[in-house]
Amino acid sequence: MLRIQNVLLNPGLNCGFDHDFLPGGMTVVLGRNQAGKTNLCRLIAGLSTQAVGELSLNNAPLNKLSPQKRSVAVVFQAFVNYPNWSVQQNIASPMVAAGKDKAYIQSRVAELAAKLGLGELLQRMPNELSGGQQQRLAIARALAKEAQVLLLDEPLVNLDYKLREALALELRSLLDDSDTTVIYTTTDPKDAFTLGDDLLLLEGGNKLQAGAPLSVYQTPKTFAAANLMSDPGINTFTWSSLSDQAFAQQCQTASGVSKRGGVRPEHLFFVAKSEFNAEECVGFDLQVSALETSGDETFVHGVVQASNLGFSDPRLSDTRFSDLGFSDTGLSDTGLRDQPSWVVRSPGMLNFSQGQVLLVAVQKRDILAFGGR
Amino acid sequence: MAINKPYNNRAWLGVLPVLLIVAFSAVIPLMTVVNYSVQDILDFNSRFYVGLDWYRETLQDPRFIEAFGRQVLFSLSVLAIEIPLGILVARGLPKSGAWTSVLLILLAVPLLIPWNVVGTIWQIYARSDIGLLGVGLNELGLAFNYTSNPTHAWLTLIAMDVWHWTSLVALLSFAGLTSVPPAYYQAAELDGASKWQVFRYVEMPRLGGVLVIAVLLRLMDSFMIYTEPFVLTGGGPGNATTFLSQYLATMAVGQFDLGPAAAFSVIYFLFILLFCWIFYNSVMTDETVEDAVENTANNNEARHHD
Amino acid sequence: MANIVLDQLGFAYPGALEPTLLPLSVEIKDGEAFALLGASGAGKTTLLNLLSGLLVPTTGRILFDGVDVSSQSGSQRNLAQVFQFPVLYESLTIADNLAFPLRARKAVNGFSAADIASRVAKIAGELEIENLLKRKPKTLSLFQKQLVAIGRALMRPDVSVVLLDEPLTAVEPRTKWQLRQSLKRLQEELGVTMIYVTHDQTEALTFADRVAVMADGKILQTASPQEVYEHPAHEFVGFFIGSPGMNFVAIDSATPAPMYAASGVDQSAQRIGFRPEWARLEHPPMTHPLSAVHWLGRVTHCQILGTQDGAPVGITTLASEVGELKVRGAINATVGEEIMVVVDRCVSFCAEHYVATHYAQSSTGQLRNLVGDE
Repeated sequence: MLRIQNVLLNPGLNCGFDHDFLPGGMTVVLGRNQAGKTNLCRLIAGLSTQAVGELSLNNAPLNKLSPQKRSVAVVFQAFVNYPNWSVQQNIASPMVAAGKDKAYIQSRVAELAAKLGLGELLQRMPNELSGGQQQRLAIARALAKEAQVLLLDEPLVNLDYKLREALALELRSLLDDSDTTVIYTTTDPKDAFTLGDDLLLLEGGNKLQAGAPLSVYQTPKTFAAANLMSDPGINTFTWSSLSDQAFAQQCQTASGVSKRGGVRPEHLFFVAKSEFNAEECVGFDLQVSALETSGDETFVHGVVQASNLGFSDPRLSDTRFSDLGFSDTGLSDTGLRDQPSWVVRSPGMLNFSQGQVLLVAVQKRDILAFGGR
Repeated sequence: MAINKPYNNRAWLGVLPVLLIVAFSAVIPLMTVVNYSVQDILDFNSRFYVGLDWYRETLQDPRFIEAFGRQVLFSLSVLAIEIPLGILVARGLPKSGAWTSVLLILLAVPLLIPWNVVGTIWQIYARSDIGLLGVGLNELGLAFNYTSNPTHAWLTLIAMDVWHWTSLVALLSFAGLTSVPPAYYQAAELDGASKWQVFRYVEMPRLGGVLVIAVLLRLMDSFMIYTEPFVLTGGGPGNATTFLSQYLATMAVGQFDLGPAAAFSVIYFLFILLFCWIFYNSVMTDETVEDAVENTANNNEARHHD
Repeated sequence: MANIVLDQLGFAYPGALEPTLLPLSVEIKDGEAFALLGASGAGKTTLLNLLSGLLVPTTGRILFDGVDVSSQSGSQRNLAQVFQFPVLYESLTIADNLAFPLRARKAVNGFSAADIASRVAKIAGELEIENLLKRKPKTLSLFQKQLVAIGRALMRPDVSVVLLDEPLTAVEPRTKWQLRQSLKRLQEELGVTMIYVTHDQTEALTFADRVAVMADGKILQTASPQEVYEHPAHEFVGFFIGSPGMNFVAIDSATPAPMYAASGVDQSAQRIGFRPEWARLEHPPMTHPLSAVHWLGRVTHCQILGTQDGAPVGITTLASEVGELKVRGAINATVGEEIMVVVDRCVSFCAEHYVATHYAQSSTGQLRNLVGDE
């Protein structure tokens, strides 16, 4: 089992974190850009990095070992292959370096090439391959090392949309039945569900939460953890703005300090006033500002009417974000977030006009409440 | 993103051999020269400490001042020609294709010739009796003779240096120019930019870092130039082309005046350092360094998405 | 602003065995937001380069407002382009960067300095980057730089078309939607013809009035996002749009099951396609065995995407008698369980081309619109 202790991903941090990676399973490390995911990968692989920490694999300390001696294989974001060697030589390279015998190498190369769909391309050079094929080659090379730990640092981010989908599923089936500990970093929460047996959330170099994807999704400990699991981010409101104050009080006392609750975009749904069930749901008035669709889903962007959120000065809402553990909302400083804007994620292709005010509801059980950080 | 590599004291051992070599070949001899510069050396055994006398004498020596003036004029002239010419040549080279390698090799040839051979080539080439250039110019009606006419000697010297070293600037600029992603040229073309605007706004910013290196190298080297002018004109006619290095050599080796020669050497060294330091500081600010980093980052991105 | 017509446009690299683009014809209306959607290798970059004048067509013509511009260069066609990464003049301020396209053509267009300044102010205002005007590009974030690049493309009031080559590639995922919104808003307000090339369906379907789906050097369908989603003209379009795309089931022409006829599928159809969200899972036995297309399957994988009503929802993959099927919705089965896949709506194809849409008798055939009209 891979265990990391007292890990400081950035030099500026004060206290490190520990984590035990699920042995033989796939752990997804989810975090925004600059969260420390690459530093973590480089630390585990033994490459030069700002991160420091103690590593042990099956109780044997890993820190002193050079990257070559560690039983760790890495697949990088930029398709990294030996440009002067053919596909066959590339896949064979870790085994040649380990001194395995020729017959074994040949059979393994054939096996891995077949598994990753490179069987016909063994004599090609990497620059003759497409992006997807190059990345498959990098994965084959990593698998050839037969390491106990396989690190994939956002391997699909430079590929086309559809290719990414296909390759993610391929990866899943490829790595399911091996007992390699796989660590997959990503910024996309969808990957967490598709690929992860276990999940590790990182932000600003800190470990936010870890656990099974569904449980982290349903019971996030902090706003930041909840925010990471929703794309786009969480919509927030103050407890004092709810019409159902009894319920609001209940949530506030249960959660402790926080003045705000959160709703995931996918838990909001549009409902007619006549069908609105005040017992089970909480409602908000949303003025539509924009629509985005990908065919099977629509993102409705809108501004929640101020009276519902209890803000007198919209800017104040932004300063309070920092109280809640939002280090960076990831937004530009072009001032597009002057008003509390929400996003609703709905299935199907919806058609609303700009400026329309609609009632949007959320089930009470889907409301998230947090205690401070 | 700064990467702090793990701290390892054993790395100093790797540097030790270099340290020793540089110490023996440069530092210790330099200190010896400084030592000599404050002494009057009559022969090996009789030396007297004279303080800064030699320095004062040298700096007031009219021949030193003249040689210094000629040196500065020479360096500035060759810089003024080589840098723009080098950039022009680099822009004319095709960025890729079969001709590129051929042309690059041709450009590199003058850089590979030993310097005294360069001097000899031009010495013969410019001779008014048997040299191709000399005879040719005389045929055209110009009474060209670099051995008797100081202006002609100067022009020949400058032409020789330009021929010798422009390739360096061209090659460095070429490397800088090839780092421009094609999208920038395309964007400028769509904007309706003229050729001059493309050069000024797309290429020059990228060439900035490279040019600093080119100018520094040429400034230092041209200031120290010795072999080529010595072979070509011997410092003549008269002392029209006697530059600092030659004057120093005459003093030290010819007259064996070690004390003044040592002082001269130190002054020479300090001047070169001074000019380079002034140039470097006025051109390189923190911004320029960040620029160079940013450009490389952008290049990597750009290549990624091609 | 120009109306663009591609007339039997084809392209092959000299010496290549196969053409990169097969002769295609499409018309892009003046002021339209048009998207070119396709995977890498589909030919969309080649088409973009033909439009921008970087490549000369091998066959066919390109017409801007009826004028044949096939042999004209990009600047002669008066178009602008936004690249995958922000392409700015590093040594100029943002204001100068924006003014550059106008200043460069001052002689031709006769813009005065005052005109240029007011146009810069207007575009900067639209993009909300007024506070950045005095700064240099290297002090800006990637997002801001790409905004400036878009601004530069919009500077000329008479620009014929703005080409966007995957402009969101370099931008951080969580800020992409902002740039998308800005682009869409600008396109609508300024009425500029924009052609947006991408491999991302969300970008294409959100931005465009019409989408052209490309594959293998051909345009398979050019239609509104809704059309492309609901009535794909070609099997590839059904597969490419949607995440995941359509399920395809071959109809056994010898003995087609009666359930197909019940849904109105006729004899000529060779394959049925249905989107994962057009089907649902039901525990056997079924209530109305013949009213809807259905198959029995065994669950092989459940991919959770979130929760609805406290229960997990996502994509269930099943192995069935007709192959692998994916269904989107509530996950009410576990791996290994046997369950029925019931299709409420499907599309039939013949020789990969669209024939008709079919609805199960019990469903109303309308899109699930959760609100209706308030």
